[in-house]
Amino acid sequence: MPAYHSSFLSDTDVRIIGNFGLLPLRTRTRGPAYTLPLLGPEDDEIHVDPESESYDILDETLVLFRANTLFRNFEIKGPADRVLIYGILFISECLGKIKPNMSGREAEKALNTLALEHFALPGDPTFPLNALFAPARDRNEADTLRQYISQIRQELTIRLLSRVYFDSATTPSKWWLSFTKRKFMGKNL
Amino acid sequence: MSASQTPAVVMDNGTGYSKLGFAGNDAPSWVFPTAIATKAAAGGGSGGGRPAVAQKPSFLTGGAGPSGHLSSKRGTEDLDFFIGDEALNAAKGPGYGIDYPIRHGQIENWDHMERFWQSSIFKYLRVEPEDHYFLLTEPPLNPPESRESTAEIMFESFNCAGLYIAVQAVLALAASWTSSKVQDRSLTGTVIDSGDGVTHVIPVAEGYVIGSSIRSIPIAGRDITYFVQSLLRDRGEPDSSLKTAESIKEEFCYVCPDIVKEFSKYDREPDKFQKYVVDQGAGRKVTVDVGYERFLAPEIFFNPEINSSDFLTPLPEVVDGVIQSSPIDVRKGLYKNIVLSGGSTLYKDFGRRLQRDIRHLVDARIRLSEQRAGTSVRSSGLEVSVITHKRQRYGPWFGGSLLGQTPEFRSYCHTKQEYDEIGPSIVRRFALLGGPGGNA
Ligand SMILES: Nc1ncnc2c1ncn2[C@@H]1O[C@H](COP(=O)(O)OP(=O)(O)O)[C@@H](O)[C@H]1O
Ligand SMILES: [Mg+2]
Repeated sequence: MPAYHSSFLSDTDVRIIGNFGLLPLRTRTRGPAYTLPLLGPEDDEIHVDPESESYDILDETLVLFRANTLFRNFEIKGPADRVLIYGILFISECLGKIKPNMSGREAEKALNTLALEHFALPGDPTFPLNALFAPARDRNEADTLRQYISQIRQELTIRLLSRVYFDSATTPSKWWLSFTKRKFMGKNL
Repeated sequence: MSASQTPAVVMDNGTGYSKLGFAGNDAPSWVFPTAIATKAAAGGGSGGGRPAVAQKPSFLTGGAGPSGHLSSKRGTEDLDFFIGDEALNAAKGPGYGIDYPIRHGQIENWDHMERFWQSSIFKYLRVEPEDHYFLLTEPPLNPPESRESTAEIMFESFNCAGLYIAVQAVLALAASWTSSKVQDRSLTGTVIDSGDGVTHVIPVAEGYVIGSSIRSIPIAGRDITYFVQSLLRDRGEPDSSLKTAESIKEEFCYVCPDIVKEFSKYDREPDKFQKYVVDQGAGRKVTVDVGYERFLAPEIFFNPEINSSDFLTPLPEVVDGVIQSSPIDVRKGLYKNIVLSGGSTLYKDFGRRLQRDIRHLVDARIRLSEQRAGTSVRSSGLEVSVITHKRQRYGPWFGGSLLGQTPEFRSYCHTKQEYDEIGPSIVRRFALLGGPGGNA
């Protein structure tokens, strides 16, 4: 039973840029993603039912993160797996920014900055996974991909914080922070 | 008392722990690390040489020169070495070096092993060897020379009345007869013996080990302890010593069906997290949180990749491969009776997960061959059964206890008299104890 794959691999009517899938997201941040219905006030935002119409690849990424970061090998089976990889590596980067003494507010600031700062796209010389990710074909596509990935980054930050500060608004969970020591596929974003 | 009436002594010396006691008992009387502390430098060298004499003036070493031949010594008062837990303690202070005379199941330092046995017999078991038969265990594929050296020590240094040396895996099969799941007392099965330093997968057909199909994997108790330790360190727990990691491992770890689901359980059920209090001595107590290591640590048997980059084959695949490489006419029996043995098989649900994963592999192969053959006839499948039982912890020792108490046991041993007549080569062969015809 090696590292886990995305269950969204079977979604075939998804726009693809390079070989990255622009899967639907449940998010308030603007961008090219097709948006899914937001959760109701009584829904458990940490354990969204995979059968629910609101369940998205980011819910899945957060569920698989702790298991998959323990693995060095991962065989990509399709565009959804690349979203999963990107998400997992981004979560690792976020956790690396949260210091054990940071309050939820401080962490939120740090992660917002990180989510919005300039980031590399597939094909850029500093993108770490160019062997596995294909670049966009043209300028237009690249812009769209950047906006989509930006949505992923912002939305993941919000959802990660609600997990890391679930037990306490002032101290991050050491259980989540301990994963900063592991590297999925041996890579950093 | 004559040796025909006294209970046989059963000694299972493992890489990590030695189990000592008397045939007929339910559990060994002594279990302690197979470690010896001598006044020599640490390590003591290997390959059978005597340990180097400490390069210190004699007033520092207590004046003990190299010891004379052991058979001349009977008392234990003058022993200048310690074994087991006492050895670990002695080695904490100055002047003593520690050695583990068994490596990967095989005796490497004969001088230390002899002293280890000497102390086991006279100081712990407190028996006169000439009044007892001895049942000793050996790892699979033990070289005959090693058996002979053992016999030399047992007969010449200790004068034991009789000796039987049994393969640990065969004894582990016998130990499983106590399980209600085992109907026929068969000596055919696949033994998974996982101790401290190594895990062996050993196919046995009618009491004989199928040597060419044995596999060993470099994941066992010590690796799991180190993995627990690394997780404690990643979280910055207040105590992450090996001792703490080992205790946490033994007390809290279990095998789960699926690690992703298990992580989610910990989010929903906070009482899955536990606390372990470490007494650091001098009134200092610290509390260590225990969490994901509970299921992640033994997961390295099933997903070695999470702990190492050089050994990647999951245990269920190794077991399946061992059986597939065994002669075709015994495979059915090997799948049907997969017996667990040793301390590192004790995790809750270890057997259940192993059985499920091996079954998946077997079923997938059957389906594939059906597809290839293009038949619509579905085969009834193959029975895969992993035996978890109450005597698993000390499986080889308990199997020895069971067989060593049978009326015919002594007739299967080689006696001191036979040894004197024929010499060490006599122990190259032993008749199969508990085999067909036996009535253990
Ligand atoms: N309850 C337990 N759960 C998990 N591991 C255990 C348990 N009890 C003992 N062990 C481990 O089993 C190992 C010793 O097993 P053993 O079969 O005696 O080894 P060996 O025969 O190789 O010396 C040690 O690593 C010890 O930590
Ligand atoms: Mg053993």
